[in-house]
Amino acid sequence: MALLEAKAVTKIFGGLVAVGGVDLTVEERTIASLIGPNGAGKTTLFNCLTGLYRPEEGDILFDGASLVGLRSDQIVALGMARTYQNIRLFGSMTAIENVLVGQHVRLRSTPLGAIFQSPGTRREEQRAEQYARELLAFVGLAGKGDMVARNLPYGDQRLLEVARALGSRPRLLLLDEPAAGMNPRETDAMMALIHRLRDELGITILLIEHDMKVVMSISDRVSVLDYGKKIAEGRPAEVRSDPRVIEAYLGASVLAGHND
Amino acid sequence: MRLRSLQRGSRIGAIAFAILTYLILIGLPTRLGAPAMSVLALLAALIFWLALRGGKSKQAFANRAPAPLFLTGTTAGFVAGLLTALLTAGFAQLLMSGVNVQPYLDKIVPMNMAALYGVMPGALVAGEAPAWGWLWQMAFVTLAGVGGALLVLIERALRQRTWSVGGATRWLAILLPFILLGFVIWLGNPAVTLGGNAKGTLRLLMAMAAIGSGLFALRAARPGREQRVLALLLFVGLACLPFTLDQFQNSVMGIVFIFVMMGLGLNIVVGFAGLLDLGYVAFFAIGAYVYAFLSAPFASPAFSSLLTSLGIPAAAPLTSFWLAIPITMVAAGVGGVLLGIPVLRLRGDYLAIVTLGFGEIIRLFMLNLSDLTNGPRGMLNIAPPYLFGYSFGNPRDIFILALLGAGVIAFTAHRLDGSRLGRAWIAMREDEDVAQATGVNLVRTKLLAFAIGALFAGLAGQLYAARQMNIFPDNFTLFVSVDTLSLVIVGGMGSIPGVVLGALALKGLPEVLRGVDEYRIVAFAALLVIMMIVRPEGILPSTRRRRELHSGNEPGAEVAPEPIRIGALTQEGGKA
Repeated sequence: MALLEAKAVTKIFGGLVAVGGVDLTVEERTIASLIGPNGAGKTTLFNCLTGLYRPEEGDILFDGASLVGLRSDQIVALGMARTYQNIRLFGSMTAIENVLVGQHVRLRSTPLGAIFQSPGTRREEQRAEQYARELLAFVGLAGKGDMVARNLPYGDQRLLEVARALGSRPRLLLLDEPAAGMNPRETDAMMALIHRLRDELGITILLIEHDMKVVMSISDRVSVLDYGKKIAEGRPAEVRSDPRVIEAYLGASVLAGHND
Repeated sequence: MRLRSLQRGSRIGAIAFAILTYLILIGLPTRLGAPAMSVLALLAALIFWLALRGGKSKQAFANRAPAPLFLTGTTAGFVAGLLTALLTAGFAQLLMSGVNVQPYLDKIVPMNMAALYGVMPGALVAGEAPAWGWLWQMAFVTLAGVGGALLVLIERALRQRTWSVGGATRWLAILLPFILLGFVIWLGNPAVTLGGNAKGTLRLLMAMAAIGSGLFALRAARPGREQRVLALLLFVGLACLPFTLDQFQNSVMGIVFIFVMMGLGLNIVVGFAGLLDLGYVAFFAIGAYVYAFLSAPFASPAFSSLLTSLGIPAAAPLTSFWLAIPITMVAAGVGGVLLGIPVLRLRGDYLAIVTLGFGEIIRLFMLNLSDLTNGPRGMLNIAPPYLFGYSFGNPRDIFILALLGAGVIAFTAHRLDGSRLGRAWIAMREDEDVAQATGVNLVRTKLLAFAIGALFAGLAGQLYAARQMNIFPDNFTLFVSVDTLSLVIVGGMGSIPGVVLGALALKGLPEVLRGVDEYRIVAFAALLVIMMIVRPEGILPSTRRRRELHSGNEPGAEVAPEPIRIGALTQEGGKA
C-alpha cells in the first residue's frame, strides 16, 4: 500500500483554484518529486498535505488514515514532517534547540516533571539532546549545535531545517525546494543527503524542486502540476519526453540540454 | 558636508527646544529652584547626545569624525539655546509689563522665569530682569550641545575598548552587592548621620542597588562552583535585608517583590510565549478577592448569608492563609484558562485588546457585584498570615513572604524555561505556524502559558490582600497591568533576573524619588523612551532576546551573509 495517497485534492482561494482535483501517490521508501512552473500550486498542495490548509474537496490518506481536518501538529505526530521554501527556522534559538523543538511530539515530559526535574524528565532530556547532536552530525552540521540558527550560513540553515524535521522521526519527509539558492557543490551535498535519508533512515521523500538536474537524477517518480492540475506523472525519463510537460514547463532548450 | 552638519544640527536643536519648552511649561524650573538652568542644560546635553549618536550599529558609530560632530552639536545647542532664550525673554517681558498670561499657561509665573535667569522672583515683577540673563541662558544650552557631542566621543572611545571580563572588573562586580549591603547595615546605625534627612531614602536606594548589583554579580561569576557559592552568599545577604531595614523601607520592598512575583508570571506569558496580555491585573484581582472571601467572608453580604444558611459560621476566616494558597492559585489558573480559550486564535494587537477588555471586565465585576464583593466599599478586615499564633502582618514579614514567593516562582520559571514546554513557548513566539507544523500543540501550549502566568499572579494577589488587609476594586485598575508589563520590558523580556531589576527600577525607584513627586512620571516617561532607544532588549536581557535584537552586531558573531529573506520574523508582542 502507498504511504501517501492524495485523492482529488482541491484548494480554492476566493475564485482561484490553486489546486484542482490532484491525485498523488507516494510509495514507501521512494523519492518522489513535484514540479511545475511558478504558481502551479505545488506549495499549496504541500500546505494541504501538512495541515496548514484544509482542502475544500478530496481526501488525503497517510498510511491508510485520513489526514483531512487534522491539525498540523497531529499530522507531525503521525509521521510526516516538512521544510520550507523560504527558510523558517526559529532564528534566535540555537541549532540544537531547533532540533529539540522538532522532537517535541516524540517527548513526553510534563511541566511538573520539568519543575521538579524528575529522573524520567532528566533522562529524556539527555537522550533528546544526544539524538539532536546525532541528527546534526547526520546532516553535516556536527559541532555547530550551539550556534544561533540565524547566524548560520545559508546552506547550513537549509540543512538545519532538514535536521529539525528529522527530529520528529518522520516516515515521510516533504522538502520544499531543498536546493534553492545553493551553489553547485552544496546542491550535490544536498542530493547525497536526500539519498542517505532514504537509504540509511528509510524515510520516504516528497520534494518540490526547480533544479531539473536534481529532479531528474534523484527522483523515482515525478509529478507535474500546471495551473493547479496534474498534467503528467511517471518516471523521470517519461515525464521529460512528455509533450505536454515540455510545452507547459520544461521548454525545448532544457530538453535539448538533457539529450546530449 | 558642512551644510549637512548645520542642517542636521538645526533639526536636532528644534526638537530639543520643543522638549525644553515642555519642561518649562510644566513648571520644572520652579521645582528645581536656583540650579534650574544647569539642570535643564544637563537634560539638553543628554538629548543632544542621544540625537547625535544616531545609528546604533558599531560601524555607524565609529565612522563619525569629530569635526562635523562638534559642528552639528554646537549648531543644535545654539539653535535650541537661542529659541529657549527668546521664549523665556518673551515671557519675562510679558510678566514685567503686567500682562496676565497665567490663565492660559498656568506655570508661567515669576518664580518659573526667575529660576531660569537665576534671580529673585521679585526682580522680574519689579521690571528688573537682568539684562544679560537671556544671553547667559543661551550660552548654557549651546554648551550643552558641545557637551552632547563630547558624550558621543566618550561613548565611542569606551565602546572601542574591549573590556576584559576577567580581572579586577569582574571581582568588583562580584563584591559590589556585599559592599552595598554593608553600607546599608552601617547606615542603619542611629549614630551615623550621613545623608541627614534623606538617610532613610539613601538606605532604601542602597538596598535596592545591592539587590540589583547582586543580579549582575551572578552574571559576572563563572558558571559552576563560583556561581553556586556566590548565589548562596547572596541568598544569605538577601535574608539579612528585611531585618536591617525599617518599617517604611520594608513596606516598599514588600510591594516591589509582590510586583516581582507578578512580573515573573507575566514574563512567562509575554516574554516566553510572546502573548501580549494587557489584562494581567485580572488574575491578581482574582487572587486577592478569592483570599478575601476565604479570610473575611463576613465582608461579603451574599457570601456570608449563604454560609450562614449552610450552617457555617461566617464571622471568622474559613481557612488560614496557607491553606488558601492552593485555592487562590487554582482560581486564578482557571481564570487564565477561561481567558485563554476565547483568545486562542488571536495574535498581536487583537490579543492585546481582548485581554485589556478582560482585565476591565473583572474590575467592573468587583465594582458592581455589590452583594458579593461589597462593591466600591471593598472587602475589609482580611487576615494576615498566621503561623503558630504569630502574625506575619507587619511589613518586614510581608517582605520576607514576598521574597520567598518570588524565589519559588523564579525557580519554577527557570526550570520551565529550559524544558520542553519552554522551548515550545519560544518556538511559538518566533513563528506560530511553523511551531505547530513542527509538532507543537498550540492550544495546550498557549493555555499552559496563560494558566501558569495566572497562577503566579493569583499568589501575588493573595499576598497583596494579606498585606493591605482591605482591598477595593480601585486597587486593580489597568495601570497595574501596564506597570507590570513595563517592568518586564524594562528589565528585559524573557529574562528572570531582568524582572527583579525592572521591579526595583519601576516600583522601587519612584518611592526613592518621592522628593520630586509629580515629576517622577515625566522622568520615567523619558527614561523609558531613552531605554528603548539605547537598550531595547532591557537592562538585564536574556541571552536569547539579545540575539534577537542585536543579531550580527555583536563582536564575535559569525559574519553570516544575510539570506535573501528569512521567512517572516514575527516579533509579535515583542515590540510593545
